[in-house]
Formats: sequence, structure tokens, C-alpha cells
Amino acid sequence: MTSEADPVTTEVVRNFVTACAEDMNAALWRSAYSAVIYEGRDSAVALLDSDGNMLGQSTGVPLFVGAIDACVHHVLDYYGEDMSPGDVFIMNDSYMQGTHLHDITAVGPVFHDGELVGFGAARAHWGDIGAIDPGSTMGSTSIYHEGLRLGPTRIVKAGEPIREWHDHLRLNTRLPEVSIGDLNAQIASIRTGQRRLSQLLAKIGVGTYRAACRNIFEQARRMDREAIAKLADGTYRREGYLDDDGIGSEPVKVALTLTIEGERMIVDLEGTSGPVAGSVNCGAVQTKSLLRLAYKTMINPERAITGGSFETMTVRIPDECMFNAKEPAACEWYFTGLGLLADLMISCMSEAIPERATAAHYGDSMVAAFFSVDPGRGQWMAIEPTAGGWGARADGDGESALINLVNGAFRNISAEVYETKFPVRIEEFSLRRDSCGAGRWRGGCGVVRKYKLLEDCSGALWFERSRTPAWGLRGGGPGKGPQNRITLPDGAVDRPLKMRARWFPEGTLVETETGGGGGYGNPMARPFPEVQTDVRRGFVSIEEARAKYGVALRDDLTVDEAESAPRAAS
Amino acid sequence: MNYRIAADIGGTFTDIVCQDVATGACAAGKVLSTPENPALAVLRGIQSAVAKDAPVEFFVHGTTVGLNALLTRTGAKVALVANRNFRDIYTIQGNNRGEIFSIRWNKPDPLVPLEDTFTVRGRIAGAGEVAEELRLEDLDRLADEARKRKYEAVAVCLLFSFKNPRHELAVERHLKAILPGVEIALSHRVSPEWREFERTSTTVMDSYLAPVVRGYLDLLVGELKERFPRGRGLYVMKSNGGVMSAEAASRAPLQTLFSGPVGGAIGGRALSADAGRPNLICIDMGGTSFDASLVVDGSPTSSNEAIVEGLPVQMSVVDINVIGAGGGSIVWEESGALRVGPRSAGSVPGPICYGRGGTEPTVSDANLVLGRLDSSNFPESELTLDADAARSAMETLGSGFGMDAQAMAQGVVDIINAKMADAIRTITVRRGIDPRDFSLVAFGGAGPAQAAALAAELEIREVIVPVHPGAFSAWGMLQTDIRHDLKETLFGFWDALESSEIEARFVRLEDEGRDQLAGEGVAESAIAFERAADFRYLGQEYVLTVPVPGGSLDMAAIRRGFDDAYMRQYGHNSPDARVELANLRVTAVGQLPRPARAEMAAGEAAAPRSREVYFDGAPRETAILDRAGLAANDVVAGPAVIEEATATTLVPPGWIVRLMDGGHLLMTFGEGE
Repeated sequence: MTSEADPVTTEVVRNFVTACAEDMNAALWRSAYSAVIYEGRDSAVALLDSDGNMLGQSTGVPLFVGAIDACVHHVLDYYGEDMSPGDVFIMNDSYMQGTHLHDITAVGPVFHDGELVGFGAARAHWGDIGAIDPGSTMGSTSIYHEGLRLGPTRIVKAGEPIREWHDHLRLNTRLPEVSIGDLNAQIASIRTGQRRLSQLLAKIGVGTYRAACRNIFEQARRMDREAIAKLADGTYRREGYLDDDGIGSEPVKVALTLTIEGERMIVDLEGTSGPVAGSVNCGAVQTKSLLRLAYKTMINPERAITGGSFETMTVRIPDECMFNAKEPAACEWYFTGLGLLADLMISCMSEAIPERATAAHYGDSMVAAFFSVDPGRGQWMAIEPTAGGWGARADGDGESALINLVNGAFRNISAEVYETKFPVRIEEFSLRRDSCGAGRWRGGCGVVRKYKLLEDCSGALWFERSRTPAWGLRGGGPGKGPQNRITLPDGAVDRPLKMRARWFPEGTLVETETGGGGGYGNPMARPFPEVQTDVRRGFVSIEEARAKYGVALRDDLTVDEAESAPRAAS
Repeated sequence: MNYRIAADIGGTFTDIVCQDVATGACAAGKVLSTPENPALAVLRGIQSAVAKDAPVEFFVHGTTVGLNALLTRTGAKVALVANRNFRDIYTIQGNNRGEIFSIRWNKPDPLVPLEDTFTVRGRIAGAGEVAEELRLEDLDRLADEARKRKYEAVAVCLLFSFKNPRHELAVERHLKAILPGVEIALSHRVSPEWREFERTSTTVMDSYLAPVVRGYLDLLVGELKERFPRGRGLYVMKSNGGVMSAEAASRAPLQTLFSGPVGGAIGGRALSADAGRPNLICIDMGGTSFDASLVVDGSPTSSNEAIVEGLPVQMSVVDINVIGAGGGSIVWEESGALRVGPRSAGSVPGPICYGRGGTEPTVSDANLVLGRLDSSNFPESELTLDADAARSAMETLGSGFGMDAQAMAQGVVDIINAKMADAIRTITVRRGIDPRDFSLVAFGGAGPAQAAALAAELEIREVIVPVHPGAFSAWGMLQTDIRHDLKETLFGFWDALESSEIEARFVRLEDEGRDQLAGEGVAESAIAFERAADFRYLGQEYVLTVPVPGGSLDMAAIRRGFDDAYMRQYGHNSPDARVELANLRVTAVGQLPRPARAEMAAGEAAAPRSREVYFDGAPRETAILDRAGLAANDVVAGPAVIEEATATTLVPPGWIVRLMDGGHLLMTFGEGE
């Protein structure tokens, strides 16, 4: 018998699945042991139906939007009927779930009166997973360098932890107590979802719930179809190059073709590099998840993501592709190519949706890390992604000094906190003048961040996007790419972008400069007062105002219109 | 006769509660607000409450002057002084994206743009040592620009000034000499706490709001000088839920930032004590807004930092959770689905039933169709509600979904109640609290009408509708003490710190607090201190504030107190991990004398009457009662409607109501019918 759900119940259930996911994430953040989870919010949770279709989700990292359902499908395929109330399964395999082995996904079935009614799932980043280096490895060329690898694995049976598996996990990480603590937080999150769903089902019944879920899927599908149908049919193609694969020095090609056909959108990565030796390979599941994120930034961005979203998009990834990682490709820095991929996709969509067009952003996490061991502090590690410039839009300037798309809630470490905790002085933190792409609408600026090492210690860098910096749209200029400079106390200078851990003496100065965002439209159409303000505020130098915008400024920063190029129509 | 009076200044009306000191009896009233000169409404409110020559020993009010200046960006013209190479700190802000799925999100505009930011060479380093000498000549440019750009205030925030203020003090001396008459705020005075962006933001906000708030307070003291010579007896609500004298507020204007909104949460604290209920979820529902706050173990939950207009303020504030679902939430259709909110019709044009030009159906329209509202729920507007227009809107909307007007209206109310319950649940889950262990307190014009349904959603079995639910914030203000927060950043491993050093710092903060209170005329015997410290485990970034018992410091016990608090907050702890101290905090409390609570006497009950009200889709003949007519031992079983001047309490079937001590309504589930 098929039940029906009226519009009111459907809407109550639709609000419920989103709120339930929020509560599950709150429970995870509240009880996680690792700061990267409860402060860095490197986690994602979802509530799914009994076929593993995603219903509601909450994520701290936008990158994880819509990647968890694949894990539930793997659990269903592997265990089938062999599941009981209170069971929990975990997995982290890069090729099954798409990311690096640090991301552990826990999945728990939800039963109501003996019937399987859905799943709760919680993914969290574990600090150590037993790889060759503590924390993140930088030189891996095989998945076997990167730590413990798990397919779907039952870890709790009918509410009872399976001891041998817990011990197995403890023996394969440098942080056994923290890891088990984080696992328990993930389980607590799943239990929160189970409890909330049971409360709802007691009220409205399983039949009505399933019917409401069907309505939710259908409504989300319809909303996406309507949005895509409004766009002009066509095929759009973009490509760019990663600087290297993480260990070599050859550029790595990334290509994307977007086709809009009626109510469908097809994304094809044909032309992208095959698997690479370094650790920037990414599993197909995470590649799709990233493309969903890029899609979401342009299609119904203000709507909650529920089941049925994204069904209008088909993703084709060649079999032999760095974005379709297969054994034994290394995946530790899987997100390295995703910033470029997202920018390519958003630029293609910008052609189909001109009013929402957005130029490319600086596009990488640009990580700087310093660490050592000393008697006073013990083992210390200062590691952070660095902000940069975002692309200008069809209706506004790009934002400056903002964290990249695949991250979200990350905040820079304050200089006062940094210097109090670590033997490093922040000598400068400022906007990087002239890094912004010129245009009628200006791109955002990257930042300058300088670290003076006050004691001997190790340093490592992971900066991407110098070969394909943020490009502009419709006549807008590109942003500048990143650049770094390391000056040793003896005056020797080095300019690495990606650098495995190296030992540096006290007095070393590490200067990092992140990229800016692309501009939009003809710079000669940017009005005089806006260029003048850019110079007053230090986004643009007097020289670039003249060279890029054709605006002459006097010493007192007033505009000399006679010496300036006339303003073009925008 | 001697009186104590509180005023809660709203956008349209100012609520007044007046207490007779001899009997403790309270009376509520309201006057029109006067946004162009808020002091006028205060003055009128006092005149309306007591005779012209009646003595008023205590007058407290919540002012929104500072907050409004911020919301409308009408504060002072401020210049900012920062370290060289750190000019952009305040514009860069936190790097984080406010909406993680948006590529169009922009940071909030800083209150001081980059062209009004000036830098100076000189650097204090992490241990407080001078790493580079200060170069005051760099400020010559500021002196030139100040003449051109007419700065009213200068905010100075230099790195590590909370450790060593020498450079900030030197900048102040220099600026005073070259910019006479310009107010100067130093970050180590406004907020002696680490994190340079947050401290800069706090200092700038102080500079930005100070002239506006001081101007208002001077005006108020002037207008009321007959009644309160030199401002004595005049108090202002603080963001931390305490009060301070008008004079103290003038010295610390930033502390008035949440002076208005904080009232409801403070009412919650007073009610908690009054009703003997330590744990409350307080909901404040007006025509267009819905706020929630929590009282846990008798105190409102609070934070040491607030975000307002996207900008951080390092200041102790009572937590107010704004939930965007109120009577004004708009009902709409999208791709065949029914949606409620988050868009709101606000008060203008407002719901269709207001008859002010609103064309989109709202939650209030649905409630009206169900017979759950009448004009008394909207005292701020003296409206006559148009029930026919509301019904016709529900009919039109329902026809698209195959539902009649009543079913549609019930559906809308069910959706909004489920949404509000979800929002409240999320707030409590984040704190590790189960809402079922709490009592729900409902106030504001629309709160008491929704409370029972909301409680049912949350499986809460007890609802309290306090006295004067429409003026609850003002009532709460009468029950507060003076509270001053003092703080100092002290960073180090707890196991490596000397208890004597910590004790000395606590004593220094307490001396500072004692001086402030003495300056406000508080007797030594009425002064008490609450100590607290911010801790975290090694490797963590954010801290947990833990109370520190008075008396001699037991370092091990304080450490265990942190482990215990961590367990309560996060469900686990690490007793073997190293612990870092980040800040020391002292709250200096000056207890104010308060009269005993008055006995409540039942008034005249009006003639019995009833009307049809819909519950769960069916009409029920429902008794309409006057709250004033209820006596101490009365028990009212639902369905019933209890009316009073400022609110209507809806008692659904299955709920019963009785009076508590203090005159509050106690509504419980499961005993009726």
C-alpha cells in the first residue's frame, strides 16, 4: 500500500531533514576530540532514505556537499540484509569515497518497528591515520604511503562496539585516544539522527514519511529542472593547468566541457590529465561532489540541499583520469586540483547564466606550516590555509582576502595568538596591492603574510595556481598568481611554491603572497571615483591605475581627467 | 510612597513597569516611543506612571540608541591607528566566508575604511618586549588629514598592547597634543584581550558609538535633572544583563550596545528565581520577530564575544538567539511545495489582516483564521484585524493544494511551530541540553498564544506565562544588580603558573571593580565578586570560561573544575592533557536593594463568555477568561483563552492552567480532560 503525504506534512518533513542534519552536526562538533573537527569544522553529516538517497545534510566544509550518499551505497552493496538496529559501519577508502584516507565516514542504519527506514552518516577528518609522516604526508606516490585503508567495515554490532576492530584502529594511528574519541563523536551524531527520526516517525508513521520523502525528491528535481530549462542550450569549454602533480615539475592539464540540453546539464572532463604520480589524484565520488558544489553556487544557491537536488546534472569522467583515481594512485592532497576544476565549471556556467557570471578566484588553500619539538612547548605545529582574492561578478567587485571555495568557515590565526603560541613573528599581514584582476568590476586582492622564524624549526608550503591564475571574464584581466620567497639568515633566497618539510635556522624570513581574483568587463569602463578609491585604499597602485585603467592620479590622489582615457561604455 | 521604574524602549512603544517600594506591587503601562529624542518617551513614561512629585529612587531603562546608530551607520567619523604592515587587519577581518555555498558573499563594511586608517612604526612582541621603537613622527599625516576630514574620534589598536600598553599610551599623549578635542580610545583600555582583529573591531565600535551614546545620556540627565539631580538614581541596562549608573554608562558607552534586547533574558533570570525553576527556555514572540534565550542553573547563558552587523565585539553579552520565524513570516508556493518563511512581511506592510497594504499571506493571518488571535495581540499597533481578508487569502492559497481555509491555516501554523521547535532544539543540542528538562517561558504579544503548541512539539510539559507578558523585559530590569566585567589576558600552562601571581591579578581586577562600584555609590557590604578563567586543552584554539571559587586558590581544584565543565559542555574530557590559561575574568556585582514581592489579589472577573476556536482542525466552543479575574487556587482546563491587556494565552485541550506564586500562569500538559 502506498501512503500519501499532504503538502503540510511534506513541508514539515522537509524542514525536519535539514534541522535533523544540523543537530547531527552539532552533536558531532560538540563531542569531537580533534580541533580540526570542532573548530575547523572539517566534517559533514547526512540523513538518507533506506535506499541511501540523501535527504538532508549539514557540512562544515563545502567540498563535502553530496559525497556521503556514495558511502551508504557501498555499505548497502556490501552488507545488504545483514544489518541490525544499533550497527555502525565505517570506511575511508579513497577510491570508494573519493577523498583522502584521513576522512572517516561512519554510517548507521535506522530501523523503526523492525523496518529499515533510513541511514544516518557522519564524516570527519581524523588527525592521523598511520601514514609514513605524522599528520599530512607531502611526498606520497602511492595510496600505500598514506595510511590505513578501510572498505565498508562493521565497527559496532547491535549497539556493542566490536573490540577487535576498535583495537585495530588504535594500533594504526599515532593518536589512538583522539581517534576513538572522534569515532565516538561520529557515532553520537548518528544516534542523534536516529533518535530524531524515530520521534518523527512515531508521530506521522513510516508510510507518510516515505511519501513525504518522495514529494521532497520530486520538488527538488522540479526546481532544478525549471532552473536549467531557463538557460540557453549550448556547449561551453574551458581548460587550465595545475603547476605540477605535487612531486614533479610538469604542468597538469584540467579540461571541462559543459553542455546544456533542455532540462539537463552534462559535465565532461575529457581532455584532463590521466593519473599522476604525486598525491593530487582525486576519486570520482569527490570529483562529482566538487562539481555539485560549483553547480550549487550558480543554480538555486539560496535553497537548502535536499534529496533530489543535482539529478539534472550528469558527470562524465574518463576512465584514465586524475579525477577518477584508481589503485594505487596517491590521493593525500586530492583537493589541489579541485579549486581549478570549480573555477572552470563556474566560468562555463557564467556563459549560460550571464547575470550571475563570476570570474575565477585565487583557487587554492595555499597552506603554510611550521613545526618542531622543544622542551617548553612539546610538539608544536602551526598550520593554516591562506586567504586570497575572489573573482569579480557581473554586478560587483570580487572580495579580497577570503578563504577559498573548498574551505568555508576557516579563520586566519591572529598574529597575537600565533606569536604567543609559536616561536614565529608575523612581520606583515596585508592586502597584496595590484594582485587583483582589472575590470569594470575589479577582482579581489590576495594577501601578503610574512613569517620570521625566531628559533630553528621545520617549514613546509603547498601553494597552487601559478600557471593558471584566476582569469577574468568579458574583458576583465587576470589576477596575479601566488609567489613565495624564503630568505635565509646568510642572505640566500629561494622561491618555492610547493615545498616538503625543510629545516630552517633561526632568523629565516618566509614571505608568502597569495593570488588575486579575476576582473569582469572592460577596465576602461570603471568609473574614475572607483579607481580613485581603489588607489586610496591600497588595492591598486598609481602606476597600475594608469596602465590598466587609463586613469591618471595626481600626488594628492585626485583624478587628472585630461590625462586619463575616457570611460568606455560598460 | 517611593517608586522603582523600568522602561523598555521599543521601535513604536515604550513599555513601563512601575513598582511601589512599600508594597512591592508592580503595574505595567506603555507610552509612544519618540525615536527622534528617546529621552522624551522616558520622561513621559515616568509621568504616566507616578505623580509629578512622587519620589523615584531607582529608574532603569534599556536604550537602543547605540545599536540603532550602528544599524543605520550614523555613528562618529573615526580614524584608526594600527601598526605598520598591519593596516589592513580590520578590513581583512577573519578570512572566513559567511555563507559557505555562496560565491557572491561580501564581508561586512568596516566602520572605518582603509583611507581613514593610519599606521605607525613600532612593535611590541609576544612577550611584551619592544621589538621596534615607536616612531611618532609617522602620525604627522594623521594630523594633516584630521583637519581635512574632521575626525570626531581616533581608535588606536596596536599589537600586544594588552601585554605592554607603552606604545598606545605614547600615541595617546601625542595625539592629545596635536588633535585637541578629538576623543581617543585605546584598545588595551576598551578590551584588554588578545586577537588583534577582534580587539580593533571592539575599539573602533567604542569610538564610533561613544559620541552618540554620550550625547543621549547627557540629554537624558539634563531632561530629568529635577527628578534625578546629577543623574543619581538613573541606571542603564548593560549588554551583560546587569545595570550601571548613567554616569558609568557615559564612561563605557559600548556596554549599552545590547541594552535593549537583553531585557527579556534578564526577565528570565528573575523569573527563574521567582518561580523556583532553574532551567528555562524563554521565547519572545512579537508580531514580526521571534527571539529565544536560555536560563541554565538560574543564569542566562552568555558569551564573551558577540557579532553584530557581522563585526565582532569582545564584550560579555547575554545570548539572544534571533530566529527568523514570527507572525510576519510569509507563506508561499514553489514548484508545487508549500513554504513558510524565511521572508517576513515585517510590520509594514505586515500581514494581510493588518490592512496596511500587505498582499502575501502570513502566519498571523493563519492564526486569525483559527480564532487564536484578536486585536489585543497587537497592542503596539491599535489595529483592527481584518479576519475576512485573512480567510480569503487562506482560501486562495489552499485552493492550489486542495485544502479549505481552515485546513490551510492549521497547516501553516503546524509548519511554523515545527520550524520554531527545530530551531530551539538546535540551540539546546549545541549546548548539550535536552529541552524536555526545561520549562518554556512565553512572552511578547504573540508568545503566549503559540506556547502550548510549541511546547508540545518540543515535548516540554510545562509552560510559564509571566506577569505582564507584554512588558516582561521592563519587569525583568527591575530585578537586576549592577554588574561590571573586568578581564586580563594571561597566557600560560596552568601547571607552570604560580598561584600567587594569579591571585594578585584577580585582586587587582577586583580592586578596579570595587572602585567603579564605589564611584556609583554602592556600599562595601553590597559588593560581591565572581571570578572566572578561560581555559583550553593544549592544541585547542577556543576556550571555555569556567567559574573560579573565591578565597585562596586551589590550583588542582580549579583544574578539575575545567575538566568537569568540559565534560558537561562536550560530553567528554581529557583530565591527563595539559591545560592552558588564556584570560582571567572578574565580575564585580553591586547588589541593589529590592522590595519584597507583593501578594497577588484577584480582581473582578468579567461575565463568562466564549467563542469558537479551532484546535487540530476542529472548532471547539472555548471559554474566554480575564487573567485579572484568576484567583490563587483556580484551575482552568483547556480549551480556554485567557486575555489580558497585552497578550492572549491559548490553552489547548489537554492543558490546564493555575497561578504560581508571583502571579505567573503555569500551564501543564497531561492533567486535563
